[in-house]
Amino acid sequence: MTDQALITQFQNGDSKEGAFTQLLKRHKEPVFFQIKKMVLEHADADDIAQAVWIKVWNKLDGFKQESAFSTWLFRVAYNETLNFIAQKKRIQGQTKQNQLEQEMEHPSTQNGLNETAIQIKLERAIAELPEKQRFVFMLRYYEAYDYEKIASITGTTVGGAKANYHQAVKKMTELIQNT
Amino acid sequence: MEKESMSKELEKALERFKAKSDEVPQGYFDQFELELMHKIQSENHAPKQANIISLFAKQKKYLVAASLLFAVATGYLFYNQLNEHTISTNEMVQIESLPDEVIEAYVDNNELVAEVEWNSAIESAGANISLKNN
Repeated sequence: MTDQALITQFQNGDSKEGAFTQLLKRHKEPVFFQIKKMVLEHADADDIAQAVWIKVWNKLDGFKQESAFSTWLFRVAYNETLNFIAQKKRIQGQTKQNQLEQEMEHPSTQNGLNETAIQIKLERAIAELPEKQRFVFMLRYYEAYDYEKIASITGTTVGGAKANYHQAVKKMTELIQNT
Repeated sequence: MEKESMSKELEKALERFKAKSDEVPQGYFDQFELELMHKIQSENHAPKQANIISLFAKQKKYLVAASLLFAVATGYLFYNQLNEHTISTNEMVQIESLPDEVIEAYVDNNELVAEVEWNSAIESAGANISLKNN
């Protein structure tokens, strides 16, 4: 059964839970991993993913199927993730940033491996990327989404999505090479 | 695609990053699904707060008009009372300016009436006292 058919089933009220569970089974993993790549912490990703799917349950009746379900779903995930990050930033300030800086200064504490230092630098670079840039990069690099779909998810133009991706790559490359 | 323009080092680091972020506890997604459906079911079965619709919602404009009318009427009455009070004060001022002979004549003419009223008041008070004593 296609996503479209499941959504129609949900919207008609025929076995709402059944249709929703099918959609959940199909899409829960890519959504969760995308969120986790954005926030890094498992518990945070879990909270956001729960909020995303509850929103999907509440809003699916009004979904007009003008775009693919996955595009709409990732847009919900994008908005929820950005809201979460903004809220966390307000609460925690720069704590996470300071932690990463401390790890950078003492790479030897991480088994003294150069590889670990690169990894920390990469995580720092990812954390430093603007949220939109980060989201675009993850969708393009790991999910291999085309720019049209990414633009639709993040509410930008195709050119804007391409620029975001290349800026992210440039920034990460610079940080890795400076190791 | 774009990966070709990336350094091998960055590619490797990104692969490790993926491996790290793909780590989840065993059975996590099954548990996630169960918890989510439980949450949704409990939200659906929770008593929904009913929308409060005011009984007077439709009559709102009439109520507003009535309260305006009331305010205007009250103001008008209050204003009139004030005016009446002013008139009686004026009258008092006028009495003060009357010659003494006129006032004395008025008192003499009304003295009998005042005396009768006074006597009947005393009589009724006396009757009440005698009733209580009996």
